[in-house]
Amino acid sequence: MNDAYTALLAAVLRAPDPVAALEAAAARPEVPEALRDVLAGLDRDGVRMSALLVAQLRFNRLLNGSGQAAADFDADPAGFTAQFRQYHQEVAPSADSPVQEARLFAAWWAGVE
Amino acid sequence: MSDVLGVGLALPPDPVSLNILWPLITEAVDYYEVAPETLWRPRADGFLGGNGFRARFLQLKADSGLPFVAHGVGLSMAHPTPARRQRWLAQLRADQADFDFAWYTDHLGWTHAHGQNLSLPLAAPDTPETRRRLVGALRDIQSFAPLAGMENSASYFLPYPPLREPELIGEVLEEADGWLLLDLHNLYTMSTNMGFDPMDWLAAAPLGRVIEIHLSGGVDSRPGWLPGGRTMRLDSHDAAIPAPVWALLAAVRPRCPRLRGITVEHIEGSFTTRDLPRMRDELARARAAL
Repeated sequence: MNDAYTALLAAVLRAPDPVAALEAAAARPEVPEALRDVLAGLDRDGVRMSALLVAQLRFNRLLNGSGQAAADFDADPAGFTAQFRQYHQEVAPSADSPVQEARLFAAWWAGVE
Repeated sequence: MSDVLGVGLALPPDPVSLNILWPLITEAVDYYEVAPETLWRPRADGFLGGNGFRARFLQLKADSGLPFVAHGVGLSMAHPTPARRQRWLAQLRADQADFDFAWYTDHLGWTHAHGQNLSLPLAAPDTPETRRRLVGALRDIQSFAPLAGMENSASYFLPYPPLREPELIGEVLEEADGWLLLDLHNLYTMSTNMGFDPMDWLAAAPLGRVIEIHLSGGVDSRPGWLPGGRTMRLDSHDAAIPAPVWALLAAVRPRCPRLRGITVEHIEGSFTTRDLPRMRDELARARAAL
């Protein structure tokens, strides 16, 4: 159950609507009964809050690793936040460090431009 | 008790915050805590190396002669990825050699799985596999550090009943002969959000294995963040240590006979020089509780 749970949660916590993603994942027929029971017991607000915190931690990691991203955020907070939201959903958070996050973001941005 | 380190401060990996805290760092504490992974920089060959904070903290160690302890967040105790775990351990061994950490702790739960680093400690289901992985992580830590421990995390949802958690922690620490880093603001946060009595949690926790206590503060989320306007307590480390956490410290301290240190945590960017008197008072109050 452990790997199925972590894989599901990793996807749910980056989804645009984490609770809708959780409900959809739990309803899939291939999800075992025991895992379905665990998912049913999760606090939905807690899942939403955790998704926000995961995004916030990644946002901070990016700004710590990229002076350009920090400057862009200072210049246009709403615009940069929208960009970051799109990046967060499209690019898996594989970076362990601010430098790696900055590289990932720069590569994504080069593809968007 | 000669093995008590005293009162410590978590060193933020931020030059401005370090400068603000410098009077406390140099005058008011007995040891320092660092998150080792904030001292690393990825190298071109795929391995990890030290960054500028690592060099600065090593200089602090040399100048002060004070001990260091390590508290990581990225080991992902409950969900290891073998290659990443080995990379992590290699750098931790190098850090141990240079810093001579008195102990190393990480968080209950997982932060990294399936190639994704979520950074937030998340609880794993209450299964034999989870217990096996947590015990394995503690043994990995014991391969380089003199003492290995696990912190109760601040989870915002749990895949098991909240009062099952202290029992799970006790089972894992007993099997691995590990230590508990008891984070009282994490406990306060969870009890507030999940509606349980923190004293019930403490009654089931392995307090005889507490080696370190963490004190910090936090804030409530904004009403607009969640549908329905519910707010949740956040373990954000960006405010004064609140009264309920001090009350928990007073209640639990006499029941932790092997406690060796109380560490105060404040996140970088959350304080100015105007906060220093309050932060100095917090350290003094923690010292009085030792």
